[in-house]
Amino acid sequence: MKKIKGNTTPHKTTQIKAGSALLSLALLASACGSSSSSGSSTKSVSASAKQTIVFAAGGLGSEGTATKTAIAGFEKLHPNITVKLLPLSSSSSSAKQQLTQSFIAGSSTPDVFYTDVIWPPSFAKAGWLMPLNKFHPNSSAFFSGEVKAGQYNGKTYAVPWFINAEGVYYRKDLIPTPPSTPAQLVADAKMAMAKDKSITTGLAFEGAKYEGAVTAFINFLGGFGGKLNPSNLNTPANKKALTFMHNTIYSYHISPQAVTGWQEPNVQSAYLNGSAAFAMNWPYLFALAEKPGSIVAGKTGWIPFPSATGTPQAALGGDMLAINAKSTHSAAAWEFIKYLQSPSVQTQRAISAGDPPALKSAYNSSLYSKAPYYKQEKAVFKYATPRPITPAYPQISSDLQTMISSTLSNQGTPGALLKSTAAQLKTIKG
Amino acid sequence: MSTIADSHIATHSASNVGIKKVKNDTLGSKGRRLGYVLVAPAIILLLLITAFPLGYNIWNSFHHVNFANPIPGQPFSGIHNFKTLTTTPDFGIAFVNTIVFSAVSVTIEMIIGLGLALVLDKEFKGRGIVRAAVLIPWAVPTVVSAMLWKTMFDPYTGFVNYLLKILHLPGSNTTWLAHPSTAWVAILVADAWKNTPFIAILLLAGLQVIPRDIYEAAKVDGASSWQAFRRLTIPLLKPAILVALIFRTLSAFLIFDIIYIMTGGGPGNSTETLAYLNWRAFLVDTNFGYGGAISVALILMALVIAGIYVKVLKPET
Repeated sequence: MKKIKGNTTPHKTTQIKAGSALLSLALLASACGSSSSSGSSTKSVSASAKQTIVFAAGGLGSEGTATKTAIAGFEKLHPNITVKLLPLSSSSSSAKQQLTQSFIAGSSTPDVFYTDVIWPPSFAKAGWLMPLNKFHPNSSAFFSGEVKAGQYNGKTYAVPWFINAEGVYYRKDLIPTPPSTPAQLVADAKMAMAKDKSITTGLAFEGAKYEGAVTAFINFLGGFGGKLNPSNLNTPANKKALTFMHNTIYSYHISPQAVTGWQEPNVQSAYLNGSAAFAMNWPYLFALAEKPGSIVAGKTGWIPFPSATGTPQAALGGDMLAINAKSTHSAAAWEFIKYLQSPSVQTQRAISAGDPPALKSAYNSSLYSKAPYYKQEKAVFKYATPRPITPAYPQISSDLQTMISSTLSNQGTPGALLKSTAAQLKTIKG
Repeated sequence: MSTIADSHIATHSASNVGIKKVKNDTLGSKGRRLGYVLVAPAIILLLLITAFPLGYNIWNSFHHVNFANPIPGQPFSGIHNFKTLTTTPDFGIAFVNTIVFSAVSVTIEMIIGLGLALVLDKEFKGRGIVRAAVLIPWAVPTVVSAMLWKTMFDPYTGFVNYLLKILHLPGSNTTWLAHPSTAWVAILVADAWKNTPFIAILLLAGLQVIPRDIYEAAKVDGASSWQAFRRLTIPLLKPAILVALIFRTLSAFLIFDIIYIMTGGGPGNSTETLAYLNWRAFLVDTNFGYGGAISVALILMALVIAGIYVKVLKPET
């Protein structure tokens, strides 16, 4: 049995690393220690030296292509730096596990990586992220909600790459004026279902037991003036919102029971095949809906989930960029981050991959001329509401997912489930 | 085919005999040393891939190793992690789910698997092809088959509801994964589809070593085919049954992949199992201490199950 002692966190992780390195050697798994093996001291290579940095991000589809284009552009500008793309899973929770595993093993790569807006506090608390204050990140140029998501204990650990916020797509041809309250949305959905037989789903949303259910919940909360506050979950407004989610299936009959298993792709196909009047989803769907040949092209509008109190919430998503605390190439990594945040790269990614710029100044006529729907998107981003920014978020989310899933599958009343989950959340140490 | 208990005893006695024999005649201590050298790489490899993680896990389970809430130095925490097991309601639910699932799935799979094995043991045209075809579901990676079944049970895109509808059977309007009981049915079907062939092949191998002439002798003595099955096939198949039962029960006990893909433990937490909780503790909560405690509990339970089987099904000597 291997004894792992150690007085400090870095010390401990090195030992764990030694252990797992031994293990991987035994498994004859080829060691990946290509560019930079982590020494005991973290000496940093200057940005002008010849070096290779490893960038971990999604590598598939149009997003992957946009990333590869950006890497090529960066390498041209900095001929001494080679960027190696380490492709991560396109599923965000699997990507997180991939990253977590290399951090726990104490690896110095990837040097720079993408992080979902909900990861930085827990990564920072575990000591895996390098504080970026020494690079003086520009915070005023980006949407403030996302900037805050990268901060923990007064320090900046991650900076915005692109922003996301979840809103509601609706069929302009069936619903001429978008609803301004949840009750109106129900009426409009019923009306659309009665008017057009191909509309089988009034409101499509993600109800499966996964992170998406929490972002949907945030949107519904905004409809009733509710707030996702882990230390005060059981409020009358929150109860109204959770009851509304339940009722979409069991009393308004505007959502099929199948939403209990739906994730973004299911919502997407329900909307794109023309069977949904309203669909809760992220900005990426807009580009697909407006694509030539799409049966909903020119018939699509996008709004934040309507609010009875006048202040809607649009769950904040998006990807940020961070540097591995053990990286020896932080200067070069920061140069790469700055390049990814620059206006022309942000615009290029927005047009080719549909990732909305985190940079506020990128929303200008040159973007709108190529992709006019970004105008409507910016209007939703105004209401972007972050999920609780705390290192304990993973456990909080897991309890919320169970609560939402139980509610939607009718395993308890919304009131009772909200009460028991609120009590459970109070026991989580943050 | 021999049982684990059987081979255990066999190797034991064989080695005892062997050592005595070696001492008495030919090889001597030099030969034995060579033997140790030759098996050393395998032993070292085994120690590294089983003993190290096991030890590391046990160490974790008694310490505060929580990356989401780190304490510098990872102090010794006594039985705190194990206490958490008994106080978390999730663990109790998952425990019951796991036991019931294992019992039901193994029973169903054993019965169908035995039936399949008996059929495949008979002479018929195209037997070779059928035997190979039966194994296909087992060769499909579980993640893939779980995805397939999830799609097939989907009320919109799946064929299950369609089939029920055209056959005028009840349940064609079911959203299978939205209710605890029907979600379990879907999981059991996916698991049985995948694992029954494995049992069938193990039992088929067991059937093939039974000499045919004893059946003829039984026939001459006036035994019916049911009596032959009951008194000859089953007892002689016992070693193969034991192996199949141990393998299947332990892997059913550790079920994770089908549930992760098909339900994510939902609806609510009605289909969470112990292995699912273990995954969540390690990779969602990054609490290696608590995760280690669940792992240790799982190992102990697995040992108990294996022990019971070996005791109950020990072949008469």
